[in-house]
Amino acid sequence: MTEVVTLTSWLIGGLAVAVGAVGFAATHDVRSSVALLLDLLLAAGLLRLSADSSWSVLGAAAAIVAIRRLVIVYLPVARESTPGPMPTR
Amino acid sequence: MTHLQVGWSEEWLRVGVDALVILVEAAGAVVIFIGAVLAAFQFLRVLPRRDPEQFVPVRLTLGRFLALGLEFQLASDILRTAIAPSYEELGKLAVVATIRTALNYFLAREIREEQNQLQGGSPSGRSPSEKDPPR
Repeated sequence: MTEVVTLTSWLIGGLAVAVGAVGFAATHDVRSSVALLLDLLLAAGLLRLSADSSWSVLGAAAAIVAIRRLVIVYLPVARESTPGPMPTR
Repeated sequence: MTHLQVGWSEEWLRVGVDALVILVEAAGAVVIFIGAVLAAFQFLRVLPRRDPEQFVPVRLTLGRFLALGLEFQLASDILRTAIAPSYEELGKLAVVATIRTALNYFLAREIREEQNQLQGGSPSGRSPSEKDPPR
């Protein structure tokens, strides 16, 4: 079962990268594409964690959770704080 | 009860809990896999609209499945503590359970916030039906 779960986690990881890249190419919106990418990577990480709970996998899963949280909290702020075009008179 | 009987019942308990852990963990993995596949199909359906707002329902679907899968995985962690043999195993279980519990909390909060955004409310958690009282 461990091999199947590990293989599935790699498949979902690849799917995450593809979805993130295609999503960004289609919408040019960094926040939504990265959020989708990280959610799918998280799914892959959780699957991997159930197959292998060594300290390195645990550290990687914790890092993904932390990065995902930081991106979701701070990326919209960064986008909203970008100055828009000057108003025309 | 003799020493031999206690040994046998401990062995049976260990085998039973092991089987349950595998079953519950597999259920969690299947739920997470189904969620990822469904999210991918939903993504392909909304992609032609080229609207980033359309990705929110995709993330909501995936988030719900992840939260459910996490519940199964937490249940298997709790079961595993019944037979964890060493302090290192217990330490790993504690870290895994902490990561999963924190993630479950954040996922539930994000799902709630994004549902409110989809309904047109504010991200702070107020639904659009909650209007200011008349003065």
